Amino acid sequence: MLGAIALLACAVPIRSFFVATTGDDVDIVAVGLLDWITVPYILAGAVAWLRRPESRLGPLMLAGGFASGLSALQLTHVDSLYTIGAIFDILPAALFLHVCLAFPDGRLRSRYESFLVGAAYAAALGLQLVKMSFGAFGARSLVELSAQPDLARTVEHVQLLSLSAICLGGAGVLITRRRQAGRPRRRLLALLIDLFALGLVMIAVLFTAGTFDWPGFLTIQRTTLAVIGIAPIVFLLGLLDARLARSAVGDLILELRADPAPADLRDALSDALRDPSLTLAYWLPDFQAYVDLAGREVELPAENGRTATLIERNGGHVAALIHDGALDDEPQLLGAVGAAAGISLENGRLHAELRARLEELKGSRARLLDAGHRERQNLERNLHDGAQQRLIALSLELSMLEQKLADRPALQSRLDSARREIATTLEELRDVARGIHPAVLSGHGLAVALESIAARAPLPVRLTVELDTRLPDRVEVAAFYVVSESLTNVAKHAEASGATVFVAKTSDGVVVEIVDNGVGGADTEKGSGLRGLADRVEALGGRLRVWTPLGGGTRVQAEIPCA
Amino acid sequence: MRVALAEDSVLLREGLARLLGEAGFDVVAQCDNADDLLLKVRSYDPDVAIVDIRLPPTHNDEGLQAALDIRSQHPSVSVLVLSQYVELGLALKLLSDSAEGVGYLLKDRIGDVEEFVAAVRRVAAGGSALDPLIVQTLVSRQRPDDPLVQLTPREREVLELMAEGSSNQGIAEKLVITVRAVEKYVSSIFGKLGLPSTGSESRRVLAVLTFLRT
Repeated sequence: MLGAIALLACAVPIRSFFVATTGDDVDIVAVGLLDWITVPYILAGAVAWLRRPESRLGPLMLAGGFASGLSALQLTHVDSLYTIGAIFDILPAALFLHVCLAFPDGRLRSRYESFLVGAAYAAALGLQLVKMSFGAFGARSLVELSAQPDLARTVEHVQLLSLSAICLGGAGVLITRRRQAGRPRRRLLALLIDLFALGLVMIAVLFTAGTFDWPGFLTIQRTTLAVIGIAPIVFLLGLLDARLARSAVGDLILELRADPAPADLRDALSDALRDPSLTLAYWLPDFQAYVDLAGREVELPAENGRTATLIERNGGHVAALIHDGALDDEPQLLGAVGAAAGISLENGRLHAELRARLEELKGSRARLLDAGHRERQNLERNLHDGAQQRLIALSLELSMLEQKLADRPALQSRLDSARREIATTLEELRDVARGIHPAVLSGHGLAVALESIAARAPLPVRLTVELDTRLPDRVEVAAFYVVSESLTNVAKHAEASGATVFVAKTSDGVVVEIVDNGVGGADTEKGSGLRGLADRVEALGGRLRVWTPLGGGTRVQAEIPCA
Repeated sequence: MRVALAEDSVLLREGLARLLGEAGFDVVAQCDNADDLLLKVRSYDPDVAIVDIRLPPTHNDEGLQAALDIRSQHPSVSVLVLSQYVELGLALKLLSDSAEGVGYLLKDRIGDVEEFVAAVRRVAAGGSALDPLIVQTLVSRQRPDDPLVQLTPREREVLELMAEGSSNQGIAEKLVITVRAVEKYVSSIFGKLGLPSTGSESRRVLAVLTFLRT
């Protein structure tokens, strides 16, 4: 069928040539311009119809081409043909509007758009017949009922002005769509839609100019026809571009054979699909989620103009390509790229899964630490509110009893020793409680809690704390243990005569530094507790570093983020 | 002497109230939270407010905050803070600009009724009471070229009692020496440590603390 249509399309200029050479007063430029519209629309319509038989866009473009071809019949000398040409004189404008609004899938998207298109057809065909019946096209027209030139002129004015308004409305629709969905990322597509809008505006100008007999009407007419004729050519170029893109799949296969790093895979796919906005999301069945290469979850797009194409391999989901909606037009290309990238995508997916598991592990480590911390806090509070308070109240009771027994010194001294026993128990309990959780830390912050640590250290410690606000609980606890463990280490191993502790806020957290002037050469792996501290700090996404040259003292530095 | 009491453990609060009542204090207000305490201090104007450092709702720093508020808003009301742990950092916060009419004691001290009542009385009268544990921490703190080594053991004892807030009279009773002897020790200590003599007994607490802190 394509061949038949192509033949037909070729026949049009030949026919025009004959018309032009046999007629006496034929405007060759006008004929040429009509062909300039007719041929590309017929070709583009035929190609579009072949590619997507279910879409109305192809037939619509074909109809546009034929209508403009038929309107050229006005130029013949045969009255019946002339009449047909006159009837189709304005219809191409309405069809053009329909094509513009129905692009790319052949459907109109709202009642308003259907109304615009319906009104355009009514004005272009209905009013055309009315004005012809009043003799608008002269005596050669076979549908003239009575010659009433004034009435015919009025009807024509109404027709042209209403079509102008409708075309402007159509241009408005295109502009609104673009504002909502953003400019298409493929350049030819963007150009095509711009041409559509421009063509509609030009038609409105043309018809208004015709109504009011503006000077330069001929120039406006030719420019308008030229613009309208470029649109299907751009459309065809766009299809060609897509074809070229399919050949890019070959390049992609070559590139993938070199086994690119997972990070480069997206760029290769983006090149092959000619979509710089492409996002690659891997499906992780264990997480029931799509993630990017770094293992972060990705939402499949619900937003305007983006589509996700799922890629399957060996019967299972592997990944999703999130791309420009314009690529929906090219399912074969998407399929080919997906198939070519199969193995590499599988690799990328494993990589992403590893990262996702790592993220999960990090999260669960921090959560474990938090849970432990909360548990210790609760234990300490229970001790404080329970056993300790009761023992103090008991001791108070005994002491008051003791005072009342001034006349029985034997009893008094027994009570006294019971009270001392309680005091010792309280002291032990206090140590246990402090070991479980330093309550002063959650109550009053790092600066207060570190004061005692520094004062109790068995060597002179200079403490500097530069914090003006409290830090998150888990950060304070980690910083506290870094200082207390490090000072314990210094006392045990460093043979130092002094140490300094420095705590300060940084842009995203806190830095803690403990420096001594001892022998250095600390064991950073076993026994020293440094490993445990590093674990604690790293669980919060921080970093613990130790410099401990032999004979050069030891410096422990922890950076803990407050995220 | 009039006392206001803030302690969220009923057992302990009632025990304290009974103890203070028997010791001749007039317990004008009892409450279990900081806001209530501030309200009652404003309306009853007690001589001393005894405050648990850990009060609801969060049991974090509400008690300490209430104590600091009373000190700044009601300078005539003395404050005695009780806690199940004594922390140097908190003592420094509480006594940051004056040691007059302020005390900070371990809750365990309640068990020694006689000593405790004496401390309440001292603080209510505008003196100070600092827990021996804190003084111990300060005195035994490691310093480069420790100046405390110049002191005799007896002088050290006197220094500690001074830091705890004892008056010369109190020190004399405790060490079973004369007040005159205490005065001699005090001036010797101030001389050795290079401290300016301040006269007032409560003001010297701050001087000694400041010295010991560094």
